[in-house]
Amino acid sequence: MLPNLFINGFACLTGDAPLEDFAPFLEVRKLRRAEPISKNVLLCALRALQQAQVPPSAREDMGISLAMGAGALGSTIKFMDSIIEDGDELSSPTAFASSVHNSTALMLSMFLQMHGPCVVTGQLDASFAGALVTAQQFLAKHLCEQVLVVVTEDVNPLLQDVLQKDPHVFDPFLYQPTQKAQRVAAAFVLSAAATQYTQFVLHHLQLASTQAVQTQSELLIPVQSCVHSALLLNHYLQVKEPFHLQEQFAGMLFNVQGEPYVLP
Amino acid sequence: MTANKVSVAGMGCVCACGNTAACAFEGALSGNALFALPAGRVESTYTSKYPVFLVPPSEYAQKPADITFSQFFFIKAALQAFEQAGISPQQLNAKRVGVIVGASVHPSFHCFPIYRRWKTDKLLEEDITALRAYLASPLAQWVSRYFGFEGPFQTVATACASGTDAIGLAKNWIETGLCDVVLCGGTDEVTQSPYVGFIRLLVSTAQRCRPFCKTRTGINIGEGAAALLLTNAQTAKQLHLPCQGYVLGYGNACDGFHPTAPDPQGRGLQKALSFALKEAGVRAQEVAFINAHGTASQANDSAESMAFNTILPGVPVWGSKGVTGHTLGAAGAVEAVLTLQALNQQMLPATVGFTTPDEALHLIPTTANTPISARFAVSDSLAFGGCNAAIVLGGKDAA
Repeated sequence: MLPNLFINGFACLTGDAPLEDFAPFLEVRKLRRAEPISKNVLLCALRALQQAQVPPSAREDMGISLAMGAGALGSTIKFMDSIIEDGDELSSPTAFASSVHNSTALMLSMFLQMHGPCVVTGQLDASFAGALVTAQQFLAKHLCEQVLVVVTEDVNPLLQDVLQKDPHVFDPFLYQPTQKAQRVAAAFVLSAAATQYTQFVLHHLQLASTQAVQTQSELLIPVQSCVHSALLLNHYLQVKEPFHLQEQFAGMLFNVQGEPYVLP
Repeated sequence: MTANKVSVAGMGCVCACGNTAACAFEGALSGNALFALPAGRVESTYTSKYPVFLVPPSEYAQKPADITFSQFFFIKAALQAFEQAGISPQQLNAKRVGVIVGASVHPSFHCFPIYRRWKTDKLLEEDITALRAYLASPLAQWVSRYFGFEGPFQTVATACASGTDAIGLAKNWIETGLCDVVLCGGTDEVTQSPYVGFIRLLVSTAQRCRPFCKTRTGINIGEGAAALLLTNAQTAKQLHLPCQGYVLGYGNACDGFHPTAPDPQGRGLQKALSFALKEAGVRAQEVAFINAHGTASQANDSAESMAFNTILPGVPVWGSKGVTGHTLGAAGAVEAVLTLQALNQQMLPATVGFTTPDEALHLIPTTANTPISARFAVSDSLAFGGCNAAIVLGGKDAA
């Protein structure tokens, strides 16, 4: 039996995390080598954990379910650039190590001292939905009592450039939004049972593949596809009203319903 | 103990030591594998020096141009799994069928040649088509659609632990009632990025890898795929599916220690192993062997030895990367298939490449092909970022 998901804390960030915002949580100098997407998701995680009132001592066995649309894109691009510009033999091993999806998961486990289960989902626009399914599984199988679901995405300069020349070249998969694309991150602290800090409850979570690929143009996913669903969820949580988030797009069906939680 | 457990109805494998699960296990027993310089596959100044484990070219002669090697290898392995299960994907239409695939290259932005042209020259018309194909093919979703399934899907991108995670999560999807059947496994390919990246990190070796050996000098990357068709007991009975074995336990824990090295004590791995064994209800003395991650890097083999000596002391250890190479996101799945083959044939292969015990490890892996009789085995994976995963498998006679 799959549990409902109780949301005990959440945070969202558009653009890059200002370093001074980390000051209440940790020594800022420790972040000097961190990639922007890792810093962004770490700040969201810290804020969500604070909202959920999860003390550092309770983090040891917490799970991490991380969604990354195309992985650590900034580092992937740095590594490719170093091969193109400097050749294989002078390419950057640091950029290669950081380009692995898990490098972002490491930032969370290392800075937050979380040593529970950790799985990364990387499937473009369906990544966040996949991360929610994994979190639900962690809780159903009692691998942990709370899960940090996090999503972070970079901007792909190649896709952005192509889309600027023809915003609909990748229909029905991506379009170029009118505003400049920025990095986005979000974090949600979930549990299978309500805590005194629970704000929302999610139910009827569904992720499925469909045979339909075409979709109406208004449902096209913007250039940062992975964070789209997370931003929608964050919006519904902010307005504090019941919602039904449904995305049927490009061979994917994602459904989740939610409502504010009231302590009995 | 396995009446309500998740069983393996069929499995398939394509890798450097064989083009089916049975052939790959034959390769593991004989030590035969395609270990070669990747000049025809990878453009790099290193290709005259660093060999890798490759899928033989005859296996991908029919690969369509618009899909990646990762996609092609996985479909090949999956078709073998359906064949062994004696069922077609269409016959599963009435069931809730999920797909979980682990990989490392495909879930990344794997369009380096296009990116290079964009940076240095200009894009070709076909580059736009290729980018559209990239956007249209998140791996597990693509596999699900390929077989006409309409269930949940997940592409696991936990680097080198992805294959083990995919199988463990698939087991959980069935046990929690999310699915009746899950097609799961892992797939990966040798491309320029991981090939150059591991060399630049100084963990690749120009020699054939030597897991757990005192003279080990590093890893060889490899490629391939393995697929397993998992099912619940009710579906297996209804559809008269055969049983190749069981997935009994899954554990996962992270180190939070270092970007590219495991915790030296293997603490995350110990936790993952303990959870998997507890979930399976299997005691250390019941385990026939461990199929280790055994990459032959200094740090990996040391951390793994620490964890094994603590959680599974005295249990025989087999390292199979001397015949498969390190197939990255596919590794856990390839090793799970080889583990089930070993349990079912009651034969534990030698660790190819191992010659000299390393006193510091307090562990000597298998040195000869050896008959076994126990019904359970453990397979584990470690990944960059300190992610660890372990599964407990049972042979087909484990019921």
